[in-house]
Amino acid sequence: MQGQYKTPGGKLVAVDFEVVDGQLRNVTVHGDFFLYPDDAFAALSGALEGAPAGLGEAALAERVRAAIPAGAELVGTSPEAIAIAVNRGLAGAKGIRA
Amino acid sequence: MSEPTTTAPLEPEMLTTDPAISQRIADPELAERWRAYDWQLIPSTPLPPNMNLALDEVLTSRVGRGERPPTLRFWGWASPAVILGRFQSVRNEVNEETAAAHGIQIVRRISGGGAMLAEPEGAITYSIYAPEALIKGLSFAESYAFFDAWVIQALRRLGLEAWYAPLNDITASGGKIGGAAQARRWNAVLHHVTMAYQMNGELLSQVLRIGKEKLSDKGITSAAKRVGPLRQQTDLPRQAIIDHLTDVFRDEHGLTDGALLPEEIAEAEQLIKTRFGTKEWVYFLP
Repeated sequence: MQGQYKTPGGKLVAVDFEVVDGQLRNVTVHGDFFLYPDDAFAALSGALEGAPAGLGEAALAERVRAAIPAGAELVGTSPEAIAIAVNRGLAGAKGIRA
Repeated sequence: MSEPTTTAPLEPEMLTTDPAISQRIADPELAERWRAYDWQLIPSTPLPPNMNLALDEVLTSRVGRGERPPTLRFWGWASPAVILGRFQSVRNEVNEETAAAHGIQIVRRISGGGAMLAEPEGAITYSIYAPEALIKGLSFAESYAFFDAWVIQALRRLGLEAWYAPLNDITASGGKIGGAAQARRWNAVLHHVTMAYQMNGELLSQVLRIGKEKLSDKGITSAAKRVGPLRQQTDLPRQAIIDHLTDVFRDEHGLTDGALLPEEIAEAEQLIKTRFGTKEWVYFLP
């Protein structure tokens, strides 16, 4: 499944994932955002891998924020935007409009 | 930082839609920073898409190591391509079958940002390779607007009502003109910009997948509709616009004519073999 969120005036982030046994699996974060330095990229998907699907937006965002290495900077999107994209993916899979 | 969909005129001294950014980049000390360097021009010659991407890496690293002066390079396109941003998924952004049917190569650049479709006469692309000291103390959003302030001036001198829409859009009353992206490494900054010169809106909508969410804050329903290519807004030949941009850069920041060195081309050819031309790179995010 996939969820997307475009930060108003910013960039789009998409999250592709599956839910296996109530956890997010095979997570890939992608989009037209910027990240400096770019080798911090794997941390974004890694932060969500194995997260409980029932985790709320704030807790998901906190997981992402904590995983971003010190000194790295997301530009155009944010941990909160990534969390919204996940929840939209989950809601879409259940046929709910997020 | 909202993107304007209206044509409300800006104060002439306002280069961007964000007053704080406009004020910051108007600082005379920043203008002096450009003048501290001996900028070199690499004029446009048609190159394969991957060569353009590999050269961006080679020239950024050489400027960072002090092996080449800070440089402005205009790209030339030998063939059409979709250039993906560093963190975009191929299948999410591109209709691969349609691209292949039109002979459009799919490549990936080292900077973030969004996919663009570049046809040989359809786009004007330039790269600025600068030491990080040029933008010291500026936020990301400030640095984007600062790097392209000379282009806003150049477009205004052509009579366009042009401005910068943070984070990274160059736009005008006749529609969005282009977008910028940056990569930072080796103590250097790569700032590159693609501007639409003329656009095949039908091909664009067939090749690039641009979803509703992407356009959700734009107040429009089609990506092609928000673009105002330079040919439409200026009625000038493509080369005349490139020449004008070059003149304005020269006036504002100083510019010496230069060229690519044979060893730079050789290094880029090697990088195409080891990175830019590989499936592992292009399909890094399938």
